[in-house]
Amino acid sequence: MIFSQMFDMLDVGIMILDSDLKVFKWNRWMATHSKILPEKIVGKSIFEFFPDLNAPWFLRNCKSVFTFGNFAFFSQKLHKYCFPFKAYNTLGSDFEYMQQSCTVGPLRDDNNRINYIYITVQDVTEVAAYEKKLINMNTRDGLTGIFNRRYLETKLEEEFDRHIRYNRPLSLIMLDIDHFKGINDNYGHQAGDFILKSLATLIDERIRVVDIVARYGGEEFCCLLPETTAESALALAEFLRMGVEAEIYHFKDKSIKITISQGVSDLNSNVDTAEMLLKLADDGLYEAKRAGRNKVSMISNKKKES
Amino acid sequence: MNQAASPNLSEDEKDILQEIMNIAFGNATADLAEVVDIYVMLSIPNIQVIGIGELPSYLKDTIKDDGESSIVEQKFWGNFKGSGLLVFPSGSGKDLLAFLDDKADYTYESNAAATLEKGGLLEIGNILIGACVGKVSELLGTFVTYSPPQVLQGKASDYNYLIEHFDPQQTAIVMKTIFTFKEKDINGFLLILTNHESIDWLQKALHEFMDSYE
Repeated sequence: MIFSQMFDMLDVGIMILDSDLKVFKWNRWMATHSKILPEKIVGKSIFEFFPDLNAPWFLRNCKSVFTFGNFAFFSQKLHKYCFPFKAYNTLGSDFEYMQQSCTVGPLRDDNNRINYIYITVQDVTEVAAYEKKLINMNTRDGLTGIFNRRYLETKLEEEFDRHIRYNRPLSLIMLDIDHFKGINDNYGHQAGDFILKSLATLIDERIRVVDIVARYGGEEFCCLLPETTAESALALAEFLRMGVEAEIYHFKDKSIKITISQGVSDLNSNVDTAEMLLKLADDGLYEAKRAGRNKVSMISNKKKES
Repeated sequence: MNQAASPNLSEDEKDILQEIMNIAFGNATADLAEVVDIYVMLSIPNIQVIGIGELPSYLKDTIKDDGESSIVEQKFWGNFKGSGLLVFPSGSGKDLLAFLDDKADYTYESNAAATLEKGGLLEIGNILIGACVGKVSELLGTFVTYSPPQVLQGKASDYNYLIEHFDPQQTAIVMKTIFTFKEKDINGFLLILTNHESIDWLQKALHEFMDSYE
């Protein structure tokens, strides 16, 4: 029969389950990827082979399909996969498991009763890998691998709103490599790039997971510190300053030492916008530069009288 | 109303549709509670026939969007064809998650909270729209196929997207019901929009439904 051939020929996983969620049909795609032959699984509960499916989200949706004849969709975005199969279609991405988009729908008998449901499983690993790559390109700085300015600005807005709403402390550090131009001039741009990468790594290793460090401009970096008071932010800045000062960077046969200047700002009653928080940190940075570099500075802002 | 717009529903037909929706939504409410533990009350539906051209402004007025409501949209097709639109008030995403007792089962990476909320909206939306459209279809003696639901932002461009596949010269039937989750201060409304292509079939189905009682 041509119709039943389709069941096994399609490059899509298809199974049919009965109302007890026992497997009634299992197509060749499912058998290939699960390494479970139809004769082994047909007649058995799906949960015997895929115990992770025995969870409220799966049961609720199956029940709904049996009752309302609607469809249920388990998207890759939310679930990653429903059936843990080895990924083979990864294009050099790092997915261990095949990313899947699954759909559940009703099958009716002659009296329009829904006695069976089908589940289709589509391999979307390739699409998910592209998406991941795009997100990375969009949020990361190409040279240093830390976040880029665009991402920082988005997060800053989000965190600003959240911290205002819950009246929580939030701080920001703006930092800049002192006399960076000199490094490029004396040691070459490759050395400059090496310093940028090394500094990014150094900062990234010294901040918490919830903190965000981004490359803000050429040699300018910015750390967004949620749930952090000005006092702690100043302490972190000082810790970074000492860490950088003590480090000797070896590039080819050269030993290079650098220092950084930093400006700190925090969310207080005089700060009404995210831009203002950024501006205050920037002002602090200029103050640190003016005061002789290799310094941390914080400008206490007063509301402008108008 | 443009007389070129072909057959509209007569008052009788609207009454039948109204009755079908009453029954359908009653069944849906009962089954939702019994089967998936979602306790929701649906108001008596209101049926309107609206020119497609007026639909975006109707939606804008009805949804009264402050830019923060969450709208789940799902297309369905078959003899009965159109879109289900579920509008939740702003900030209800988190409360909705309380209905889903397994939020930890959603896998997520960055932006966890937003993804989770969106996932909750999509799942609840999919089930509510599926239950209501499914029960109406059943009474009309047909079955429909659903596309995956999506979350809309309530922007004008999104409303236009909704009516893209409608001919502006034609009319749509809009069925509106207000839903309230029991013991939760969440209410919103459900719109079922059906386009012109369905109307001929719908009229026939409505009469067949009546005939079965005579």
